[in-house]
Amino acid sequence: MDNVESAPDSPVQAPPSSASSLPKEQSQVELELRLLQALEFYPPSKLKGVHRHFVLYGLMEYLRKSLDRQFSADEVLQLLDRFFNLEMLKPEEDEKDNFSQGEEFSLPESFLNKEE
Amino acid sequence: MGSSSNTNTSGGGSDKEDKKEDKGKGKDSAEPSFKEGDRVLAYHGPLLYEAKVQRIENLDDEWRYFVHYLGWNKNWDEWVANDRLLKLTEENIRKQQELEKNQVVDKSIKSGRSTQHKLKGSNAESKADKDDTKSLVKGKKRKSQPGTEEKDRRSSESLLVSQFPLTLKKQLVDDWEYVTQLGKLVKLPRSPTVDEILKKYLEHRAKKDSKINDSYAEILKGLRCYFDKALPAMLLYKKERDQYTEEVKGDVSPSTVYGAEHLLRLFVKLPELLAFVNMEEDALNKLQQKLLDILKFLQKNQSTFFVSVYDGNRKGADGSKSK
Repeated sequence: MDNVESAPDSPVQAPPSSASSLPKEQSQVELELRLLQALEFYPPSKLKGVHRHFVLYGLMEYLRKSLDRQFSADEVLQLLDRFFNLEMLKPEEDEKDNFSQGEEFSLPESFLNKEE
Repeated sequence: MGSSSNTNTSGGGSDKEDKKEDKGKGKDSAEPSFKEGDRVLAYHGPLLYEAKVQRIENLDDEWRYFVHYLGWNKNWDEWVANDRLLKLTEENIRKQQELEKNQVVDKSIKSGRSTQHKLKGSNAESKADKDDTKSLVKGKKRKSQPGTEEKDRRSSESLLVSQFPLTLKKQLVDDWEYVTQLGKLVKLPRSPTVDEILKKYLEHRAKKDSKINDSYAEILKGLRCYFDKALPAMLLYKKERDQYTEEVKGDVSPSTVYGAEHLLRLFVKLPELLAFVNMEEDALNKLQQKLLDILKFLQKNQSTFFVSVYDGNRKGADGSKSK
């Protein structure tokens, strides 16, 4: 079965995404490489703040696209755990901008203009 | 008798001395239209910005002005010709506002960030980029993230807003009217709550996909997380503040108190919030499709999720002035 690049051990059947432990067969190097690439877009520091679920989603999507299989949130977190101590991460400072002020809600103009 | 007495003032003919006040095109051999220290409006790309003339010089019979854009880093200072400058008058200021308004509408950006860009000082962006208008916005990222171009992201951000279901838009307008115009409030606590609604959606999704979809699960967690933080910060009308302080005390999370009405408002703010995640375009598109699916779910259940009557009683006072 010739698929992607160099898979020394052939991962013929991709394990289901709900697997809680990562397959040992997958080319470790490629997996880790892709993860590190993904971190360019989704820095680990964002994994602590209020955006963390969407950052994680982004990572899941990135890996799914580049490795062509589903990744569960847990898998991704486990992967990250190899490189980072997620407990020790400090949340981004940026968040203060968005959530500290009690700014009044307002509808975009286009919504209100829809009224005939 | 023809005479060329010196009462003959030169009227016709040569207009070499013609002094044009505001917009001198081509050569102005006479006086410059602006002097050092003048406050002006200067074009940079399609918009006008307030600027100050720092220096002037005459080159090949043309006046050029070295301007500094107010509020911008001095890296942006540049030499401009007359054709890019306008006097700082009320009329021209109106023009400035009009240009800005048109631009915002054109791009249908709901994210607040991009319109703030022009007024805050930039962080030493490369001068080479300056002439490209789009880069004006691009250069304003608080951190430089490789990959995603902000202008690409912008077009996909509005997907959520542009495909917002019509009946839900109407719901929001009614909501606005009840609260801000009629002084009514949504009765709290709600049922179903935001928490319950999101759970229902996940169940609905699991049935459709016949398995638990991890992406949806993560998205829903993200929405709940956003909701809890965003509700007091940006999802309330002023008139709802007191009620909030009453109903949400201590550790209580808003997603267990509020319902669909306020969840809907979160969706309006999502493009703004998601901009901070700086997602790849593909992933963002996929995400938006999923978010739209959630909206459609809300729409399908509109009659059970949303209240049709808001409470006329405020602060639990007796004697309802409802309807």
